[in-house]
Amino acid sequence: MTVDRLLLETADRAFTDTCTHAAIQAAERDGWAPAIWDTAAGIGLPWIGVPDAAGGAGGTVSDGVAVLGVAGRHAAPIPLAETGLLAGWLLASARLPIGSGPGTVVPGRAEDDLRLAGGRLHGTAHRVAWARAAERIVALVDDKVVAVVPSAARIEPVANLAGEPRDTVVFDGVAVDEVADAPPGIDGDALLFRGALTRAGLMAGALLAMSELTVEYTSERRQFGQAVGRFQAVQVHLVRCAEEAALVDLAVQVAAREADRGDARFEIASAKLLADDAARVATRAAHQAHGAIGMTQEYALHHLSRRLWAWRAEYGDRTWPERLGRAVIDAGPDALYRVIAEGSASGIRT
Amino acid sequence: MRFVATELTDDERALQREVREFLDVELAHGYYEPGLGMASGASKALSRKLGERGWLGMALPREYGGGERSVVERFVVVEELLRRGAPLEHHWTADRQSGPVINRFGSEELKRRFLPLVCRGELTFSIGMSEPDAGSDLASVSCRAVKVDGGYELSGTKIWTSNAHLADYAIVLCRTSDAEDRHAGLSQLIVDLHSPGVTVNPIPFLDGTEDFNEVVFEGVVVPADLLLGAEGQGWAQNTSELSFERAGPERWISPYLVVEHFLREYGDDLGPEAARFLGDSVARWWAIRQVSLTVARMIDEGRSPSVESALGKDLGTQFEQEVMARIQTLVDVEPSLVSSSAFQRLLARAVLVAPSWTVRGGTNEILRSVIARGLR
Ligand SMILES: Cc1cc2nc3c(=O)[nH]c(=O)nc-3n(C[C@H](O)[C@H](O)[C@H](O)COP(=O)(O)OP(=O)(O)OC[C@H]3O[C@@H](n4cnc5c(N)ncnc54)[C@H](O)[C@@H]3O)c2cc1C
Repeated sequence: MTVDRLLLETADRAFTDTCTHAAIQAAERDGWAPAIWDTAAGIGLPWIGVPDAAGGAGGTVSDGVAVLGVAGRHAAPIPLAETGLLAGWLLASARLPIGSGPGTVVPGRAEDDLRLAGGRLHGTAHRVAWARAAERIVALVDDKVVAVVPSAARIEPVANLAGEPRDTVVFDGVAVDEVADAPPGIDGDALLFRGALTRAGLMAGALLAMSELTVEYTSERRQFGQAVGRFQAVQVHLVRCAEEAALVDLAVQVAAREADRGDARFEIASAKLLADDAARVATRAAHQAHGAIGMTQEYALHHLSRRLWAWRAEYGDRTWPERLGRAVIDAGPDALYRVIAEGSASGIRT
Repeated sequence: MRFVATELTDDERALQREVREFLDVELAHGYYEPGLGMASGASKALSRKLGERGWLGMALPREYGGGERSVVERFVVVEELLRRGAPLEHHWTADRQSGPVINRFGSEELKRRFLPLVCRGELTFSIGMSEPDAGSDLASVSCRAVKVDGGYELSGTKIWTSNAHLADYAIVLCRTSDAEDRHAGLSQLIVDLHSPGVTVNPIPFLDGTEDFNEVVFEGVVVPADLLLGAEGQGWAQNTSELSFERAGPERWISPYLVVEHFLREYGDDLGPEAARFLGDSVARWWAIRQVSLTVARMIDEGRSPSVESALGKDLGTQFEQEVMARIQTLVDVEPSLVSSSAFQRLLARAVLVAPSWTVRGGTNEILRSVIARGLR
């Protein structure tokens, strides 16, 4: 289950070329980055991890999550996770065509009230990533996978803390484009885990990039006649960032590997929980080490830190520690060590 | 910095099962008082049995009694011992540190003399690095070995020497010349702690145990053949000794039994705050264990992950203390070392000794300097 290195190099090159500071700023202003999307789509990146047979670009879930890591590193402002690993996964699992062009998914928040009546979709969906730019919105409604064309719905533009579109979509008896029964195991909970895996993957990349940026900046910025990175107090911040990034990155690799094999709920919950913690701890350290420059739009840190704060809140956040803890309590003291060592394979029901 | 995920192979899992089955019998409940990680008491009998099984000196060459097995295989064995709080102090230092360092730098004669005994669990070693005036700044040691007929005459004082009162030998870092470069004048001697001129004075630890010692050398004669490696190479040898083994399970497992017994005694009646504590802790434990396993795998692949090891130790030991800080907010008990509750005994011990986890084996401040240098 080793990840395709060449693929990652290709992705890195594509995002290095397209996700310039100006392009990311423009994407936030405009709500869409067609040039970045076209480049990524041109080499198939949004569909990595979706089987060839279903119309995807092939590769494992590990490949797809690793590509998200590269995207997170570059703060790529496109619905990469949504198109393939989320919407594409739901469609493929229901044997529906996955289509081309940007896709997105309804994350299924508690405040949503979607329902099907007479083959039409009613209700409001919240926090739908890039709904305004998507060619299809996929949702789980009444145990069915449905796809609709966004132009048939009313879209109220909303953005997350990083300025990425997280639109409110109102369906007012909209005709569904595609519909099929969700197969066993494909439900709101499975989507929550899958979504958490994609966010953790993006966050791992952003954390690594933030750590590197902070090391680089503090080795150049001089005060009191030396690089500020030479002060031990500043080094503590650098180390904090690097540790959290390395830990989350490794946790995500293992979670994706296990997802390719089967039950990865413990690993995904853990990886997202750790990423959420890191989003709090590492961003604080990185900003402190940067001083005032880190608080500006001109400098790149905010592309990463704001995304980490936004992604932390998506697909879970507050639910994971308690949910995981309940599963640990249910597994009982005799299983505790096996849970730590073997994760989902221990039989824990997360 | 990135780690590449690894996992146990089928053979390594088979070893794990074998160790578990052995310890299930050997450490049947009630037979021993479980300890916290490395500080868990000594049992010669257990150490010898582990030796018979081939689970000591695992990575050492066969010709000296070792198993020529991997660092990951040793990880598997020590993880099982540590998570049960097994009494392993009799062989711990020899198996983890002294054996490998003798194998790496010792003469053929030293290897033949010591390694088979290490592999059989028959020798206890101590680490003679720290001195009253040389802690983190280890290169300032002032223990001095003067060349005499047939060897060296050693004088000076080592301190914080764990288990010196039980040990047969200590590997002592000392000054053998006044070279201008203070690192260049250092050497390592294997000192028989029963030699004339050696005095071991216990230093009571704050929890009342007596593993800590001051070791005074007064004109102790050390035969020339007990010089480890080359004269003047002590600093380099000592650094290599410290660097790789830092991220082992003993750096994140210490409070494990406190949590297991917490679950045993309170598991039927835990609220949301306790659940969140368990969720946070188990997720981090799982991930830090992955880091630790990855570092072991890197060593087996012939790499030198010294920065990665330091990172693993800093993460692991901070986490250990965080677990202790949080668990105390969940229970309304006044822990006691002599309580009838195993949880309370373990909790009491852990509260008392937790500060040492980020000091022993090199402080976290020093580790962070190593990591920061590695990030540049
Ligand atoms: C349980 C336990 C078992 C031990 N067993 C052994 C043993 O068997 N053999 C042995 O030789 N030693 C042993 N030690 C000693 C241990 O290695 C030392 O305690 C450790 O290296 C720190 O040295 P010190 O205690 O003198 O602290 P100091 O070096 O005096 O440090 C005091 C404080 O200053 C900080 N500090 C010092 N220098 C710097 C710097 N350059 N930058 C930033 N901060 C700095 C330290 O981090 C620490 O916070 C043991 C210690 C403990 C707690």
